[in-house]
Amino acid sequence: MSVNRIVVFAISLLFSAAILSAEEIAREPYNDRYCMTCHGVDGRGNEGVQAPRLAGMPAWYLQRQLKNFRAGIRGTHPQDIEGLAMQPMAAKLSDESIADIVAWVGSWETIAAERTIEGDAARGRNFYSACALCHGDNAEGNEAMGAPALAGQNDWYLLTQLKNFMAGYRGSHAEDIYGAQMRSMVNTLRNEAGIINVVAYINTLPR
Amino acid sequence: MSKPVSRREFLNLIGASGGSAAVLTATSALGLLPTTAAAASLDLLNPGSSKRQVAILGAGISGLTAAYELTKAGYDCVVLEASHRAGGRIFTVRSGDLIDEIGNRQYCEFDDEPHMYFNAGAARIPSTHRNLLHYTKELGVELEIFINECKNAYVQDDNMLGGKPIRNIEYTTHARGFMADIMAKSLSGIELDEPFTEQESETLLGMIRSFGDLNEDNLYTGSLRAGYASGGFLHHGVQKDMIAFRDLLKTDLGRLLLNANEGDTGPVLLQPKGGMDMTIQAFVANLGDRVKFRSAVTAVQVKEQGVDVVYEQEGVRHKIEADYCFNCIPTHLMAGIEHNFPAEYVSAMKYVRRGEAFKAAFQAKTRFWEDEDIYGGGSWLNSPIQEIWYPPHGIHKAKGVILGAYDYGGRAGLMNLSQEERIELCLAEGEKVHPDYRSLVEKPITIAWHRMNHMLGCSARWSRNRGQGWTHEEETMYHTLQKPVNGRHYFIGDQISMHSAWQESAIMSAHWALADMDKQARATA
Repeated sequence: MSVNRIVVFAISLLFSAAILSAEEIAREPYNDRYCMTCHGVDGRGNEGVQAPRLAGMPAWYLQRQLKNFRAGIRGTHPQDIEGLAMQPMAAKLSDESIADIVAWVGSWETIAAERTIEGDAARGRNFYSACALCHGDNAEGNEAMGAPALAGQNDWYLLTQLKNFMAGYRGSHAEDIYGAQMRSMVNTLRNEAGIINVVAYINTLPR
Repeated sequence: MSKPVSRREFLNLIGASGGSAAVLTATSALGLLPTTAAAASLDLLNPGSSKRQVAILGAGISGLTAAYELTKAGYDCVVLEASHRAGGRIFTVRSGDLIDEIGNRQYCEFDDEPHMYFNAGAARIPSTHRNLLHYTKELGVELEIFINECKNAYVQDDNMLGGKPIRNIEYTTHARGFMADIMAKSLSGIELDEPFTEQESETLLGMIRSFGDLNEDNLYTGSLRAGYASGGFLHHGVQKDMIAFRDLLKTDLGRLLLNANEGDTGPVLLQPKGGMDMTIQAFVANLGDRVKFRSAVTAVQVKEQGVDVVYEQEGVRHKIEADYCFNCIPTHLMAGIEHNFPAEYVSAMKYVRRGEAFKAAFQAKTRFWEDEDIYGGGSWLNSPIQEIWYPPHGIHKAKGVILGAYDYGGRAGLMNLSQEERIELCLAEGEKVHPDYRSLVEKPITIAWHRMNHMLGCSARWSRNRGQGWTHEEETMYHTLQKPVNGRHYFIGDQISMHSAWQESAIMSAHWALADMDKQARATA
């Protein structure tokens, strides 16, 4: 142990002793890196608990969604089952924790999600032309438009979210600016069949 | 009763059509009285000098059972546990403990005394759970009686008697009285058809009378069993006023009250002295550093001759090349871990629903329930909190830890609330039974099991048709998950049983897997 490290160690001991009782020091510590329990190893997504893939989601999008969850802009509609599961987690996060989590997620390898949904991709392609304006021709996402990448995401998650946008379970909060845009666009898909077809098309894009 | 019982219905009732033995067998087959095999007599083959390595994923009681038995037999075991503690849903909360609920972390602030604990998960051991009892005996875990019912605890429903709580003994005495009254009337009608001999009729009528405390005219007119209005010792006891049957029928709680102490939860129940996790602690002490904490599995690859397991500890990934793998990670979490399981396995894993359950507890500043003649057992409420349990241990000490809510799913409310809202609801409902509740309790803890880190669920729910039993497809998927992958990887835990939520089921699933592995090992030895 170098002299510097000894000094740092001694200072940290003093600091802990000042604010924590002996009993509290023995307590199990924790941090906010809970993501993998629900979202799977390296944020690959877990259909078992309907938690989407995080790896590969751009930092700006993750940050915006975590802050929306924290503020109750997302995940408070009583019919948004998965959002309701996420919201209390995000509610406890500090700005520092959000920055830490977003950087951590950025360190994970992105593995394209398994395809589980089949539909009429040819029909979906026609619908997708409207989506492409924001999300890009290859669903690669566009930060300037505030639109996340869709390619390679869990298709069951895309399905749930599109249904939630259509039903107003997501994107109805007055402060959810981008959600409101999605709400207005999602109706071009018309119904659940349209949603399934567009997801089937997204499944065909390079990932 | 507007419709009398027909003779045919009655014959069915008495089992005359199939014989009463058939009725008994059927009862057992329906799982009301699960029969367990004789206590563990696993005779695992010693692998000898080959020192075969086994990776056990999860330090729940099934994983610990497997590790304990395999270590005894000479296998080289490592148990990988993602969280900081062993036991999974066998969780005794004591002073200073972390309750790692996602989005609702808490430290327990109870007084640091041996009796001041809360069994937040498993809390009762039926006397028929022989395999679990076998381990408590073998590991020297001291047991005591768990009191599941105290007749002086309360029943409360806002819809009944203006919300006024009544004692369980009043409710059940009157309910039985009224039911016996009806039964006696039905019997006198049936007697004319002579399905019974005179002697049998007399015996049955005697039982009915005694069941309901009927008078000599076979009518229910109240009973001293409901408690005395006054007297009872130095003076004659004065009977309490009867409560009209119609009033008792204002609540559905009767269904719970009359079966709460039957089947699995029938007397006698036991608990380890000092907390349910005493068994877990004993297993872990026995296994020593074979149990690795804060070690989360990140990948499971089943190979021709073994199973590769990757786990992460302190940010570093390690790989184990094991000969066998026993896995009690909940299937819904395993779905998010890299694996190469066959497709039919994966669809079964995705089918199982994770259970929801919620418990809350308070430290009570005094054992106020003992002043109300309550020792152990619990009160029943038709409210989101459902039950209040009074600790059967620490009797007459200064304080105790009480269960403030027990919601085993299927109800809206409690579990999706914030910590503050949960506590307020527990207090507001508790006040309906104990008026000074709010000032008598402190230091709350709450646990929503489907939000607990590294678990995200209570007991696995296989059957989706509540009350209608398992479908053929569900049974097929269950047997698929029970079978090993390539003879090397076994799923275990109460999730691989037809009677989840019991420690006994978890242990028996481990025993099944161990026996299956042993059979193979012997065949190739």
